Amino acid sequence: MTATLSNNDSTTADLPSDAPPIPEGATMVTVKIERFNPEVDEDLHWESYRVPALPTDRVLNLLHYIKWYIDGTLTFRRSCAHGVCGSDAMRINGVNRLACKVLLKDMFAKSGETTITVEPIKGLPVNKDLLVDMEPFFEAYRAIKPYLVTSGNEPTRERTQSIAERERFDDTTKCILCAACTTSCPVYWSEGSYFGPAAIVNAHRFIFDSRDEATEERLDILNDQDGVWRCRTTFNCTDACPRGIQVTKAIQEVKRALMFRR
Amino acid sequence: MVEIERHDYDVIVIGAGGAGLRAAIETRMRGLRTAVVCKSLFGKAHTVMAEGGIAASMGNVNSSDDWQVHYRDTMRGGKFLNNWRMAELHAKEAPQRVWELETYGALFDRTGDGRISQRNFGGHEYPRLAHVGDRTGLELIRTLQQKIVSLQQDDHAEHGDYEARLRVFAECTVTELLLDSGRIAGAFGYWRENGRFIRLHAPTVVLATGGIGKSFKVTSNSWEYTGDGHALALRAGASLINMEFVQFHPTGMVYPPSVKGILVTESVRGDGGVLRDCEGRRFMFDYIPEVFKDSYADDEQEADRWYSDPHGNRRPPELLPRDEVARAINNEVKEGRGTPHGGVYLDVASRLSTEEITRRLPSMYHQFRELADVDITSEKMEVGPTCHYVMGGVEVDPDTAAARVPGLFAAGEVAGGMHGSNRLGGNSLSDLLVFGRRAGLGAEQYLRQLGADRPEASEPDVDAAARRALAPFDAGESPAAENAYTVHAELQQIMNDLVGIIRDGDEMRSALESLAELERRSRNLAVMEGNRQFNPGWHLALDMSNMLLVSECVAKAAVRRTESRGGHTRDDHPEMDPAWRRTVLACSWRDGAVEVTEQEQPPVRADLLELFELAELRKYFTEEELTGIPDGSTSVGRS
Repeated sequence: MTATLSNNDSTTADLPSDAPPIPEGATMVTVKIERFNPEVDEDLHWESYRVPALPTDRVLNLLHYIKWYIDGTLTFRRSCAHGVCGSDAMRINGVNRLACKVLLKDMFAKSGETTITVEPIKGLPVNKDLLVDMEPFFEAYRAIKPYLVTSGNEPTRERTQSIAERERFDDTTKCILCAACTTSCPVYWSEGSYFGPAAIVNAHRFIFDSRDEATEERLDILNDQDGVWRCRTTFNCTDACPRGIQVTKAIQEVKRALMFRR
Repeated sequence: MVEIERHDYDVIVIGAGGAGLRAAIETRMRGLRTAVVCKSLFGKAHTVMAEGGIAASMGNVNSSDDWQVHYRDTMRGGKFLNNWRMAELHAKEAPQRVWELETYGALFDRTGDGRISQRNFGGHEYPRLAHVGDRTGLELIRTLQQKIVSLQQDDHAEHGDYEARLRVFAECTVTELLLDSGRIAGAFGYWRENGRFIRLHAPTVVLATGGIGKSFKVTSNSWEYTGDGHALALRAGASLINMEFVQFHPTGMVYPPSVKGILVTESVRGDGGVLRDCEGRRFMFDYIPEVFKDSYADDEQEADRWYSDPHGNRRPPELLPRDEVARAINNEVKEGRGTPHGGVYLDVASRLSTEEITRRLPSMYHQFRELADVDITSEKMEVGPTCHYVMGGVEVDPDTAAARVPGLFAAGEVAGGMHGSNRLGGNSLSDLLVFGRRAGLGAEQYLRQLGADRPEASEPDVDAAARRALAPFDAGESPAAENAYTVHAELQQIMNDLVGIIRDGDEMRSALESLAELERRSRNLAVMEGNRQFNPGWHLALDMSNMLLVSECVAKAAVRRTESRGGHTRDDHPEMDPAWRRTVLACSWRDGAVEVTEQEQPPVRADLLELFELAELRKYFTEEELTGIPDGSTSVGRS
């Protein structure tokens, strides 16, 4: 099927013949998806699909329904399907979320409507439909040296670390590299060279790790013109994080470390 | 044929989970040019979903622990069907691998004196699982990913090229292994993004592709678990062993339907959670099998005392190995004592304080609150069995991870033998690191022996692989064209209903007929829409042949094994039979069909047998095998 605008107001009678029966308690919702197929499309464009949905369904379930029964070419990433791998970040009703963690009933409660818009995350090149090129995101991640740096001989057993020392950077170790924070940041949208929140979160994870010895080096990297000072503290990143990481706070802590370092 | 992108390496690692990354780190550190090929983005592998921890007898929490105790627990968990040598290597080397991971930078929860903390888990005699809250797998993957980034930055400093010695080919699927006179010569695949083909040439391939769970309807496994490595190995001439053993994790979510099958970590029980029927009764006391009676408490008082005094009391039966707990839950539901949504209750709310629950089980707290609207600090969870792990896999040499095909290695879930008929929780992450490293070493050793005599894939083989990969595009014209999504749904239903947690000979024979019919239909699997640019319909059509082949292995081996053991329970043969312990079923691929043969289990080395009391061995072994084993043994501790 080539990409054409479909009829917005198809009814249940238009449901595909091989679709499973509509479960009890389901209502029809409209899922409006921003689509792009580089082989045929000049630009991104919207297409709408009518899909039966239970209040306990997640947006991911609706995307699967469309892919399995309406248009097999709909492309998006997903893997673990419960918020651990971080593959399915997308812009849902205008905010960055993981499709596997957004329940339909929560969306109804907020808007009272039955239209859900789904777009690819912003600020990264769109490859196809909801799938973006993640390479610039991972490039920023790699730039902050995201690995433990130590000197001297490795211990025979483990390095010790007190419970309090380990707790110090617990929050930023929860990151799943889904890019929801970075691609919700207005600074990142306008200036792609900015490291973005996720890279800073991952730098924070090592800067505040008592075992690490490369704090100065990482702080130098983040002191760069594309580093932490670009942050305008809009808190979009904290709102977007599906892991509940206090992203803006982490960025502020890195800024403070820069200000007070010797 | 158009020119196909070609790369030359020493080692191709297929899969970027714990085993694959650990193998790649080993080969790169030994100077071998290494390619890692994975279906998902780098860092998203199924390993991230492991929650509870990594088993290693470091003895940080209970100093009585050592490798012998871990070995015994592993063999008991697997009902002595384990490859004894793999279990030995695993128990001995797991602590080194955990400490090594810590030096790579892994975060761990700590003891009061700053060492790696360890938690209790089903089937493990002592607190043994090193962990990070309930996100241990995520930390394991992230740490290995970080190590690889650091190695690539070293290479950049030295050679001016990040990928000089180690490159990750992400979102790239291997469809076939390339051979030269029966030896590994490389791998053929396609980029998911643009559908273009790629050929990787190397004399060694390490399979680290994980499991097969997406062949079952209710599963905790991710979308990539389509048995690719199992099928690649089989088609290349390797054998698969123990394929009848599939682990159903006792506690998956059962409600709401959209999240059915998602895992509820065993740590909930390890940290004090208990299972209850619809009337609140702790039913697990009714299900302690004879072989475990000595080590599990038979009343609630003793079971509860165990948490504070593990030496003076026996363990709670909620911590029996997974196969036992899963069967018990299945039976409770079948006899009408289940919950409204067809599970049983898992209760941690009445056992731990709110603060303890949110600190020790944060992911579970959020998972239930967000996906099921259940607050586990005040309400009970509803849980039921979910397909979780396949014990069966590529038959390998225990020390080198080498398969029967020269140049082919396998590690992690795709390899068979280590876990016998049932895997203990926490033994998977340690398996990945121990045998991932060993597979890397095995590949190096093979390459050294090979010298300059490198196999070369033939052009006709490459062309044929390309043609097979494109077949689903041609089938679209046929009136018999089949939709891959439909065939997949039917397969999952068949495996779930007929080759699932409780099996029966007649049902499985009918499953085999249905599978044969599905296989016939699958030859007409067609891409209905679109072309090669990131086309999920095409990808699934190619994955389907792997799932069908592996499902056939599971069903055929399961029909053949006429006993119940571990992850293989038959209604028509409910007893465990010592004679069957000596037999390993091996699947091979002959003339386009799966053939199952019986192999003799290698006898356990005498000094390892002597770690057990004779009375216990008698429950598993034939008398003939036990002649000459001294009575009253060197066994330490209870059981």
